Amino acid sequence: MSRQNWRQFDWLLLAAIVILSIFGIIMINSAVQGDPELAGFPKRQAFYLAVGLALLFITAAFDYHLLRTLTIPFYIFVLAMLALVGTLGQSIFGAQSWINFFGLFPIQPSELAKVALALALGSYLAANRERIGDLRVVLTGLIIIAPIFALVALQPDLGTAIVLAVEAAAIFFVAGLPLRYILTALGLAALSTPLVWSMLAEHQRTRILIFIDPTANPDAYFNVKQALVGVGSGGLLGKGYGQGTQSQLHFLRVRHTDFIFSVIAEELGFVGATLMLLILFFIIWRLWRIAGRSQDDFGKLLVTGLTAVILFQTLVVVGMNMGLVPVTGLPLPFVSYGGNAMLSLMLFIGLAQSVAMRRG
Amino acid sequence: MARQHAAPTYRLWILRVITVIIFATLIGQLARLQFMQGLGFQKEAVVNRIRVVREKAPRGVIYDQDGRILARNTAAYAITIIPAELPDDPDYEISQKKRLALYQDIYDIIHEKLAANATPVAEPTPTPDPKEIHLILDVSQPPEPTLLTVEEMDKLVSERELGSSFQPVIVAENLPREVALQVQEEAYRLPGVQLQLMNRREYPSGLYTSHIIGYMGPIPREQEKEYAQKGYAPDAWVGWSDLEYQYEEELHGKPGVRVIEVDVKGQEKKVVDEPTEPVPGHNLILSLDLELQKIMFDALVAGINPKRSNSAAAVAVDPRTGYVLGMVSLPTYDNNIFADGVTTEEYKTISEAPGFPLLDHAISGIYPPGSTFKLVTAAAGLEEKVVTRRTILNAPGVIYLPNRNFPDDPDLAQPFVCWIHKQGGEHGDINITAAIAESCDIFFYKVGGGFPPTDFEGLGVRTLADYARRFGFGELSGIDLPGENQGLVPDPTWKRKAKGERWVTGDTYNMAIGQGDVLATPLQVTMMTAAVANDGILYQPQVVAAITDSENHLIKFNHPIIRREIPVKSKNLDIVREGMWMVVNWEYGTAKNVALPDVEVAGKTGTAEFFDPEIGRDLAGNLPSHAWFTAFAPYDNPEIAITVFVYNGGEGSFVAAPIAREILRGYFDIKARDAAAGNKSLLDRLEEIAP
Repeated sequence: MSRQNWRQFDWLLLAAIVILSIFGIIMINSAVQGDPELAGFPKRQAFYLAVGLALLFITAAFDYHLLRTLTIPFYIFVLAMLALVGTLGQSIFGAQSWINFFGLFPIQPSELAKVALALALGSYLAANRERIGDLRVVLTGLIIIAPIFALVALQPDLGTAIVLAVEAAAIFFVAGLPLRYILTALGLAALSTPLVWSMLAEHQRTRILIFIDPTANPDAYFNVKQALVGVGSGGLLGKGYGQGTQSQLHFLRVRHTDFIFSVIAEELGFVGATLMLLILFFIIWRLWRIAGRSQDDFGKLLVTGLTAVILFQTLVVVGMNMGLVPVTGLPLPFVSYGGNAMLSLMLFIGLAQSVAMRRG
Repeated sequence: MARQHAAPTYRLWILRVITVIIFATLIGQLARLQFMQGLGFQKEAVVNRIRVVREKAPRGVIYDQDGRILARNTAAYAITIIPAELPDDPDYEISQKKRLALYQDIYDIIHEKLAANATPVAEPTPTPDPKEIHLILDVSQPPEPTLLTVEEMDKLVSERELGSSFQPVIVAENLPREVALQVQEEAYRLPGVQLQLMNRREYPSGLYTSHIIGYMGPIPREQEKEYAQKGYAPDAWVGWSDLEYQYEEELHGKPGVRVIEVDVKGQEKKVVDEPTEPVPGHNLILSLDLELQKIMFDALVAGINPKRSNSAAAVAVDPRTGYVLGMVSLPTYDNNIFADGVTTEEYKTISEAPGFPLLDHAISGIYPPGSTFKLVTAAAGLEEKVVTRRTILNAPGVIYLPNRNFPDDPDLAQPFVCWIHKQGGEHGDINITAAIAESCDIFFYKVGGGFPPTDFEGLGVRTLADYARRFGFGELSGIDLPGENQGLVPDPTWKRKAKGERWVTGDTYNMAIGQGDVLATPLQVTMMTAAVANDGILYQPQVVAAITDSENHLIKFNHPIIRREIPVKSKNLDIVREGMWMVVNWEYGTAKNVALPDVEVAGKTGTAEFFDPEIGRDLAGNLPSHAWFTAFAPYDNPEIAITVFVYNGGEGSFVAAPIAREILRGYFDIKARDAAAGNKSLLDRLEEIAP
């Protein structure tokens, strides 16, 4: 057990996160203008940020090694939650992914699944670092994450399932998985594509088909098209805060979550959107730095998994706003509206800070 | 816990490199979209939010000379659905279920209101005389309300939704006003449902004036560009025929234009540009008198035998101005049936009905003018000094033109008979006025073509044709209605080209009495009579006398237009007029039945033989004939010139003349009544203020 050291706490990282989250609230405020149903969202997001920051500090103060001992109970808890969602959860947007706990705010177990996976896989691989080349270790690692992955995929929440896969891949990769396994995995992935396709739900297939041939479904293409028009018409400096015609006239749908990047690019232009991306880049860079300087493999793999999640979600959400990636209902880290996303991100950062504060 | 064996750190560096690549890609794509493709997207953003909304301008009203409305605008109510505002759900089945329920609601409500408002069964309309039925296509019922079924709504909405989901889809049309308003009251619980007011054209005088007023329809496909350039909305209606077509530019007005910014639901957020108000179209004031028009119509319908005649026409003009006072063509149709649009099928049925109801026979139909043409031959003969008032020509029942090649062989000579010959008579020695009055054919054969056996020299075809053209035959009268036919004045050049034959004296004979190849419209005959009546001025007939703005301030007065002064001396026209007076007022005149007690009428009958393969000849070998009568009155100071034409009517004096009498009597009755009441027509008042 190492000594906790607040001087090792990454204050620059925290500053970047606070700046980005406040920026997000400001943009959500612009995105929900003229929509009385969403009028309270900026305030609620500010509340989530405040709660999230508290959670961050509490988590940071916590020794992550202690968490390691809680890995198995936490993992079982998350599995139970996921199973519960499958039976009790309300169907929202075609996927059963929310549980409204105690009527307070809905909890998305798939967010917690990201933490559980990093803890479980990180913990196991860190303990078996020397035998990473051993097929049994690799298979055991896969078996550990299989239930959690299966439950998420069956919800069906394709977006989160892919995030979990990428997270696991990153952890395996940094744990030193030999090249032959990596190549085998890539080969298997290619071979299993038709199988995966047959397992996808109708709306998921549609999204992928629309990405390949945008004109196939004009109605679904509408959203992507409007996002592209929003981004493209922004120019160097944008149309001005609250002045984006695409967003303010509601041509852009789900402006405060999925397509918030389009609002930013339209209203603040290339300068504003690039600045936001650079802040995100800085955050991720600082997280890689924490991973690299971790005193042990567990900390390193834990932070690697969580950072991969943030990086991947950024790629997918920003990419989909610019027509690079198929549409998936993922939030843009720290910027999109959403209490669950905000709280789980703060939990990630808290864990990362906990690692940062306890390096050797 | 002991420090564990560190994992290879180079792999973290690989992830850092991937991070840099990802962010570089995202920023690169951002730059590509915003800078390289930025202009295109900026345009698309503008197209998204900017709408040009046209507000239809009220179309001009058409009045008769007394200010009676012949064409006006009324409101028709329609219930529409805007697909974009219908309930929606990402789950297709749920959204479809919601929509079908909504359609059912819409259907039930409109259906119920329609049933509740159903007008009590109308009194049975008197069954028209079956003999007349094919002359009048009377369908002036108010248009039936239409309501789509739930299935039809679903089909139509899903078809339209993909293209333009903000364009309203009509689900019920022609609703009575009360029903429309009741449905609107329920609209709060029917998302996407709107009440639309559609401008409809209404023609209160319907079939009486359909050939004058015409009708409207959607912009024809081939003229879409042309109308778009003139600022017409794509869904605008335009005049398709008659005055609605001819005066389209005056009547249409200018739609108001508002450029607005809309949100994704098509709802107006703000007005972008200073809006322009719609400018109503101009009104037309016709010289036509609806009262006279109805008298003409009724007289014509009553005076013809529909079993024989599939068409007929009557024209009345003011010989002092050329203004058209009335113009009727049978068969007719009710132009109100076009107000709600007709299908191609319906249009075909109407346009191809016997007698071609859509055709205005008064200006588009060309027929041999028969003996009415003798007025031209008479005027030409006098002016060219072929005959004088005192010239007496012998007119047996039949004369023989010697064969050109064997002038001495009487067996080869060609007989030319007079109509009276068939009744076993002859006109004997006769002068020009009596020849007009008795409609002597032989006299006019000789005036036209001469009589070789006696060395009497006639006008010859070229001179006769020249005079015919001076009187307006063979050319368009220039009336302000579309579809006029110019008819035909034959001459040797024409015959050589058209038939490849040489012109012979017999042709000149036929032409001199309005037979052979001469073809004229009833309007041309009327303008000729008017020119005889007004001492030689050929006017251009006009239907529209004045154009006013929407508040009836005079914009333009259509002053009489003189086409030409016919080079026939007044004293010669006096003789022709005298002959026409005798037709009606002399003991042996052919139309004594036209005489009116208070007004002296002068006229000319015509019985024009024609060949129609469907009719052929009668048992005695005679060709069928059109009945003509043309007249002017009063004799001293003519103020009306009329022509009555009845297709296959038979004798002009028996069939056409009595109709003409009814019309003239009606005209002078109206005049006497207005004079007694001191009424001044709108036209008179406009004429006074016209510059």
